[in-house]
Amino acid sequence: MRAAAFLLTLLLGWTGSAAAQAPAPVTTPALTADLSTDRVEITTGFTGASVLVFGATENLIGSETGEDVVVLAWGPPQPTVVRRKVNVMGFWVNGPAATFPEIPGFYAIAATRPVWEALPEETRRTARLGLEALPLRAVGAQAPAFRAALLELKQQDGRWQEYAAPVAVAGGRLFSARIYFPDTVQTGDYRIEVLLVRERRIVARQALFLRVDRVGTAASIAQVARAMPLVYGVGCILLAALAGWLGSVIFRRG
Amino acid sequence: MQVYLPIAEMSVDALLLLGIGFGVGWLSGLFGVGGGFLLTPLLILIGIPAPVAVASGANQTIGASVSGLIAQWRRGNVDARMGVVLLAGGFVGSSLGVQLFALLRRLGQVDLAVAFFYVVVLGTVGLLMVRESVRAIIRRRRTGGAASPKAHEHTWLHGMPFKMRFRKSRLYISVVPPALVGFGIGILSAVMGVGGGFMLVPAMIYLLGMPTSVVIGTSLFQVVFVAANVTLLQAWQVGTVDIVLTMLLLAGGVAGAQFGAAMGTKLRGEETRALLGLLVLAVALGLAWGLIRAPDNLFAIGPAR
Repeated sequence: MRAAAFLLTLLLGWTGSAAAQAPAPVTTPALTADLSTDRVEITTGFTGASVLVFGATENLIGSETGEDVVVLAWGPPQPTVVRRKVNVMGFWVNGPAATFPEIPGFYAIAATRPVWEALPEETRRTARLGLEALPLRAVGAQAPAFRAALLELKQQDGRWQEYAAPVAVAGGRLFSARIYFPDTVQTGDYRIEVLLVRERRIVARQALFLRVDRVGTAASIAQVARAMPLVYGVGCILLAALAGWLGSVIFRRG
Repeated sequence: MQVYLPIAEMSVDALLLLGIGFGVGWLSGLFGVGGGFLLTPLLILIGIPAPVAVASGANQTIGASVSGLIAQWRRGNVDARMGVVLLAGGFVGSSLGVQLFALLRRLGQVDLAVAFFYVVVLGTVGLLMVRESVRAIIRRRRTGGAASPKAHEHTWLHGMPFKMRFRKSRLYISVVPPALVGFGIGILSAVMGVGGGFMLVPAMIYLLGMPTSVVIGTSLFQVVFVAANVTLLQAWQVGTVDIVLTMLLLAGGVAGAQFGAAMGTKLRGEETRALLGLLVLAVALGLAWGLIRAPDNLFAIGPAR
């Protein structure tokens, strides 16, 4: 709905902007983008969600014009520990561990062309484009294998994604990309960045914001459990006892 | 049908949880135990984080045992005095157990510790149960009649101080052994997420010498209250009790337990105990295999705390 309305105003804007803004020099923004929603709600039936990032560019996108669109999604930081199992007397136990205190809980990148083709390494590093460009500083064990394991496991559970979904281009100027959030997604504020790349430089960028929230029963339960753990504990005890008693009554008669 | 677990922060198939609840409830009705020792490993197996599985398992145990306790209480099969002594030890043990659990969680060794506790405890109890019940079956076949009741033996237990009269149990013994039994099972109950009935019942019969008629009711008394203490402390200090998970398991469990109980009346005591012993052993072996098998991935990630 919002997407359609946006595209409509965008198209109208193109035809009407010259007349409406006659005094100022006509400047179409090089890049405009928006999200299909600014809120992802975790309900009791939540199994993951996807958000559409869409927009338009001033020039044609593609290999002929050399313009590329990159979509980047960042979740709140989530300190993560990577543990390596070691064999102690025949048992596999958790051995050395590396803690990554400042890594994003969610990270996704999508682009019309892989960023290593479109941008030099330095730019990729400063803009943190691609999993390879993420600064993964560890506390504890320092072996490169921990970093590799982190990259592999985070991608496996879907919380880090590299070109998992394409950036689709329609009519040369309209682009869209889907960002998939798995059911294990953290709550918090997410930042979506849309970048326009031309001649190995980032020429325009737009930041969009998204909030992931628990709503309804799931939200109330998590909130009570965190804010009033004692009350929650007593509630759990009473509910379980009640359910057990009720169950035996129902099934004895039935 | 997927359902989101607010504390575990993941979604699971509700039907799968109902099914697990039903299956475990059926077995627990059949054998007259809470079934926590089956439930927690199964939950971990389907991907529930071990801390949530343990805490919610304890929570589920309350529901699974409360109706049994009410029924036994009505029949006068609960030795409340013995129950309170066991419970005193149980409260101390389970409170310490939760602290131990929180410590293990900080050290990143919860999964290992839970598995290890399970292998050692279930392996030992399973072996003892199988051995005892097979002996009883053989003895019954030989004599052709019911096994003769054990003569009342005087052991070192009877020389301890703080003696108390337990009228329902027809015992005059020191409070130290039951308090210690309660303490030990309290610790295990906190770390393993079980009620501990499968350990408590043999301990009451063989260690304390209680008559079988009051054993089930009194153990349920201890189990319900210790599980409640574990639930409260886990919710308060670790924050891992998932009530949605608990309720789904209970919904399946209370139904399964009725079917199991109906079937259980057709089995003989020794055979039931032998079967239960084999089941306990099988779970222990399965978990032991998980510890010694080379893991698919040497690395694992988790939230840092």
